[in-house]
Amino acid sequence: MTAVLACRGLTARYGGSTALSDVTLEVPAGAMVGVVGANGAGKSTLVNALAGWSRGRPDISGEVRLGGATLDGVSAHERARRGLVLVPEGKGIFHELTVEENLALVRAPEDSAGRHVFDRDEVLGLFPRLGERLRHRGGALSGGERQMLALGRALLAAPRVLMLDEPSIGLAPRLVLDLLVSVRGLVDRGLPVLLVEQNVRAALEVVDRVFLLERGRVVGQGTAAAMRDDPRIVEAYLGALVR
Amino acid sequence: MNVGQQLINGLVLASGYACVAIGWTVLLGAARLVNFAHGQLYMLGAFVAWAAMDRAGLSYWASIPVAVVAVGLLGAAMQRLMGRLMLEHNLTSLMIVTLGFGYVVQGGAARIFGGEPHQLQSPLARGSIRMGELWLSGQDLLVFAVTAILFTLVWFALERTRVGATVRAVAEDPKLAQLFGIDASLVYLGVFVFESATVAFAATVVAPHSPILTSMGFDEVILTFVVVVLGGVGSVLGTLVASLGLGLFTAFFGALVSPAYTTAAAFAVVLAVLVLRPGGFAAK
Repeated sequence: MTAVLACRGLTARYGGSTALSDVTLEVPAGAMVGVVGANGAGKSTLVNALAGWSRGRPDISGEVRLGGATLDGVSAHERARRGLVLVPEGKGIFHELTVEENLALVRAPEDSAGRHVFDRDEVLGLFPRLGERLRHRGGALSGGERQMLALGRALLAAPRVLMLDEPSIGLAPRLVLDLLVSVRGLVDRGLPVLLVEQNVRAALEVVDRVFLLERGRVVGQGTAAAMRDDPRIVEAYLGALVR
Repeated sequence: MNVGQQLINGLVLASGYACVAIGWTVLLGAARLVNFAHGQLYMLGAFVAWAAMDRAGLSYWASIPVAVVAVGLLGAAMQRLMGRLMLEHNLTSLMIVTLGFGYVVQGGAARIFGGEPHQLQSPLARGSIRMGELWLSGQDLLVFAVTAILFTLVWFALERTRVGATVRAVAEDPKLAQLFGIDASLVYLGVFVFESATVAFAATVVAPHSPILTSMGFDEVILTFVVVVLGGVGSVLGTLVASLGLGLFTAFFGALVSPAYTTAAAFAVVLAVLVLRPGGFAAK
């Protein structure tokens, strides 16, 4: 399978400390790839570096390619316009804008080649709750509704690849699986997804491939089925007794 | 005291405050940026219009777009120089840099236009409209109309259009806006140019009321800062209400007590209001 999104030797440094070291990764067309690891392993740094985005000021090196074209020197907003769409961890919507305004901020590209286009009706069909809350401000939504809105606006951007950073944070366990199953449904329609998830058990249920990060390095990778039996994953995330 | 006339005077003053303040309101409220060179940009707008008339022989009406474009371009240059500070919302540095920029503009203007007072001549300032004992000049009416139109347009643009939502989104979180495909630095450029251009526009309609000096920047807009803060930072309607309150207060205080103490008295009222309502009139 061809890689829609790929990075090679991706490294991120904050001052003297290295948050991400020499990461090479691919997201194939139509696949869902998971990145798992402990807190501070560099998962968010990885997706942020791919998106060319950060709230801090890291030094990034290495190569990122989207659809075969290099993104070297391409700004975060331009990467989003080209279809590399990130839903960041935590705050992914504007709290002072209404649901309607959050959704209307995103404009679909004129050239939709290679993009997965979703219109407003489709998004509201996927998340009917948003349709009932169109005039509410983002800050007045529940955690689950905010995540739906963040995902909804990401779909309206007609992603080539969708990157989700810890979408399960703050959600009830039942909602987590519902959300991930919804995302899996999008993948089955052809949308490639890169999922960063601390809830390894839930992630393994839906992804095709998994990358295991430790201290900023990829220390293991494979299919979800194979990684389910990886002793490092079993011991650290699934519990040794489960075997 | 003629109450009706003082009401008119108050409304005219209020329109002037609001007209000069609108750019700052959008800048500070919608984009959460500061520009302490606002007063000097006001001064420059008035002087560019004056020079366009006096030295280039343009009419008053033709001098207005000249001032708006010239000061708007200066605003664009300022934004480009301070782009990074804006993206990081580094307000302390922005305050100092824009304050310094204001003094550079003031010094440059004094060098070009000299230290003498001049009069920006408007054909409307000479004519007056009388209604019995009440009167106002054509220029007063122009300031009133310009302010009403500006506030309506700005309110509509900010609250009812996609461009307005984009500006508010960047104000709330410029970093997050990038992930929505929004070029935050372009939005800041637009807001800064808007602020500079509107204060120049305001200067061309308000400044004909009194002689202009290159040193007038801060004095002319001190009450503008007051109405922006009093109205509740960033609230378009709040700024309008605060301007109205301050304009009427200044007119009646001047008539009843003494015009010499109106600024001091106005600040006393501002202090009292802010002690009771720290967020200004617009605070919820």
